[in-house]
Amino acid sequence: MTKAHGKRPWTFYVLATLFTLFVIFLYGPMISIFILSFQGPTGGLVFPLRGVSLTWFGALFGQARTGDIGGAFSRSLPLALIVLVLTVLISVTAGFAFRRRFRGSTAIFYAAIISLIVPGLVLSIGILVTFRFLDLRANWYGSALGAHLSWTLPFGLLIMFAILGRLNPAYEEAAYDLGASRWQAVSHVVIPIVFPGMIAVALFGFTLSYDEFPRSWLTVGSKNTLPIEIWTMTTNVTSPALYALGTVTTAISLTAIALAIGSIAYIQRKRAMRL
Amino acid sequence: MLRAAPAPKNAAAQRGSGEIRLVNLTKTFGDLQAVKAINLTVPHGSYCCMIGPSGCGKTTILRMIAGHETPTSGEVFIGDQMVVGLPPVQRGTALMFQSYALFPHLSVRDNVAFNLKMRGDAKAARYARVDEMLALVHMTQFADRMPAQLSGGQQQRVALARALITNPRVLLLDEPLSALDEFLRLRMRGELKRLQNKLGITFVHVTHTQPEAIALADTVVVMNQGSIEQAASPHDVYAYPRSSYVARFMGGQNVLTGKVRGVAGDSVLVDGPGGALFRAPASGQKPSAGSQANLAVRRDMIELRRGKASGDTGENSIQANVETVEYQGIYHKVTLSRISGEEFIVMEPEATFFAHPVAPGDAVVASWDIKGLRLLEPDRAAGDATQPYADDRAS
Repeated sequence: MTKAHGKRPWTFYVLATLFTLFVIFLYGPMISIFILSFQGPTGGLVFPLRGVSLTWFGALFGQARTGDIGGAFSRSLPLALIVLVLTVLISVTAGFAFRRRFRGSTAIFYAAIISLIVPGLVLSIGILVTFRFLDLRANWYGSALGAHLSWTLPFGLLIMFAILGRLNPAYEEAAYDLGASRWQAVSHVVIPIVFPGMIAVALFGFTLSYDEFPRSWLTVGSKNTLPIEIWTMTTNVTSPALYALGTVTTAISLTAIALAIGSIAYIQRKRAMRL
Repeated sequence: MLRAAPAPKNAAAQRGSGEIRLVNLTKTFGDLQAVKAINLTVPHGSYCCMIGPSGCGKTTILRMIAGHETPTSGEVFIGDQMVVGLPPVQRGTALMFQSYALFPHLSVRDNVAFNLKMRGDAKAARYARVDEMLALVHMTQFADRMPAQLSGGQQQRVALARALITNPRVLLLDEPLSALDEFLRLRMRGELKRLQNKLGITFVHVTHTQPEAIALADTVVVMNQGSIEQAASPHDVYAYPRSSYVARFMGGQNVLTGKVRGVAGDSVLVDGPGGALFRAPASGQKPSAGSQANLAVRRDMIELRRGKASGDTGENSIQANVETVEYQGIYHKVTLSRISGEEFIVMEPEATFFAHPVAPGDAVVASWDIKGLRLLEPDRAAGDATQPYADDRAS
């Protein structure tokens, strides 16, 4: 009698199976690579695992034949950080500008959004051609930076729209009412309230740039960023060092995300209950 | 435990009078005339309630006084100073927002201290004043809480303290009680009045709730589509509405319409619907025969008799059927069948009702004394006061 109440319909099992398959598909490859990166010294690119070791992590940083990982990383990280700073700075200020409709604001908005739609590869060909035409050298801090911004800025702007759209204008009016200047209203009221959103913009800026391949490929010039270096390695490196590299870069991305989400959660917790 | 007036350190307090004078104040948004050439004087230290349905312009007027909206034309005086163009803080006004707008990232203490911090006061001085203000609104024990941890009523007290710390001459309240439940609403209503008495500054309170306005105000300003319909004491607005709009909106009266038959001595005779004849005091008015007349009769001054009148019901009475009966504690609210499309309600005291109860469907004769009837001024604009709650948020 009571069992009949708790009985699940058959659709539950179908959907649960589907979901399980989806999760395996999503995380299976990542977990496989993670496990295989600890392959023993005599092991190959495929299962089974022949012992467990850190050999391939060592190979990653030790040997020349695996490619210039250290160099690529030393370009990718600063690039991602520069993109982060510029994305936050430009998206936040642009977001404020768009709160009041101004002449041509719609046109500017669409112009910013178009670069989300244009295929990255096509865009970077365009950048490369333009640089050649202007007789400039393509490099990671010039052409690649621009290419990355064309990708992160529209995202940042859209996030700021969502955040500022929810910001009750009464907060700013209350600040003016209480004697704040325009700048004080921004620095003491608006920025602190939208700060979690700014972290989200920063996170997008960083991870989109750090992982970007199509927009980097043609625009980085002679020195590669990390995603391109990895791609190059797949064509000539045939050792589990590749997997070790995958594990390391994924760990960096996850750390960045965890830091961002953690700080948002911390701020909101502090607001909800004063410690 | 606390002085009535906070230390007069703030310049605004020294500037004196909190009299508000609006001169031909007008505001248009695109094609919409939100406020139409308003003239109004609110005396210093009085409690003024602006009431009207959504979109009648009451909040816009409040925001123009506060300095968050610029008038299209006209002037706003506070004391003897023309304040249009001045930033809010230089007007000596403080606005309490409908949503309270407490800063979510600041504690109660820092919210209340905000004005002093912007002014650059030292921390110790700030917090001493904050403690004073929190005591005034009985929120001392919540000083370290964050706004999200407070109930609606507590948030409102904090918002009040935060506004009052600026030492305003004028406190502006935008629907301050609308977010509270009935019980709290009544309690906070009492506290607002108590505070106003204690501080002696001018309060301007925007509301769309009639009992709130008449309970609190020295002056009730009834608004209709951007114009002032009547500005008078609560008693006058309630008992002596100037127009049918005010009579309908304040709700204590039934509005009757008819054609003027003539003036006889100091009373006016009006032919009502269904052959009824109304006699109202002329009180100086001389409407021409044949013109349209609006009359208001107090709902609590109507007598109900069961049954059908044989032939003529006589002056100041109508034949109708009972539609609904609602028990309201001290009164029974008896709604009769509509008279020329207008709601007709009788408030019968409990004892009278139980002496000869009526039920839905009963035929009754409703009659009243000439003293309960008033001749209203002719309608100016077509305003719909029958649906005052149609869209609360739009104002």
